[in-house]
Amino acid sequence: MIELLAITDDPVAPPPPLRLVPAGPVAVVVGPAPEGEVDAEALWDRESLLEDLVDERALLPIRYGTRVEDDAAAAAAVVPRGAELAAALERVRGAVEVSVRAITPEGEEAGDVGAVHARLSGLAREHARHDGPEPLRAAYLVDRAGVDVFVAAVRELQQEHRGLSILCTGPWPPYSFAEPR
Amino acid sequence: MSKTSQAIAEREVALVDLVDRLLGGGVVIAGEITLAVADVDLVHVSLRALVSSVEKARPQEP
Repeated sequence: MIELLAITDDPVAPPPPLRLVPAGPVAVVVGPAPEGEVDAEALWDRESLLEDLVDERALLPIRYGTRVEDDAAAAAAVVPRGAELAAALERVRGAVEVSVRAITPEGEEAGDVGAVHARLSGLAREHARHDGPEPLRAAYLVDRAGVDVFVAAVRELQQEHRGLSILCTGPWPPYSFAEPR
Repeated sequence: MSKTSQAIAEREVALVDLVDRLLGGGVVIAGEITLAVADVDLVHVSLRALVSSVEKARPQEP
């Protein structure tokens, strides 16, 4: 079995043990399927592989745990979606994902997460709100060159909204913007 | 909070975001998804517990 990690259109081979399998207009980054229990370390290991790749090429992460029998099966699974995945790569090229969650500390009144989301959306190419236990759980697709400005805006918002704890992480590969829409 | 426990809390905060992305994001491609649903639920449950503990542990800053 091999694991499918990401879609890219960069022809440069990734560092071993990762390999590139051509699939129509795009290519699949594949690697050996890890064995054993999934723990936090395994998840971070996988993340760091992708972070090294995304520094140098446009890529779409593939859903964690996707495995197929061999290279032929990998190509067969991706080729039918080649055109839409190529278009999705254009959407994320040069951008990274930043995660923002806003938590209302116990005993505090809920802050205005709508204003936070509106301000940050204005600094992003695209945005996506997710369901979660917090009042705001969102992902923003931000130009690499704009990440510093985005983070500065998060700091300002934290000062303006004392009733919220704003948790900002990233930059991440564009997990939340990988599926064409 | 000490520097060390601050760093651990930050990594735990980021772990929530990582798991969210690995399990809920990315391109969905036909293939064998190896994570059993039961395992995923367990991960979610423990992370939600983690979110509330981080919240409580967080100092009154920045």
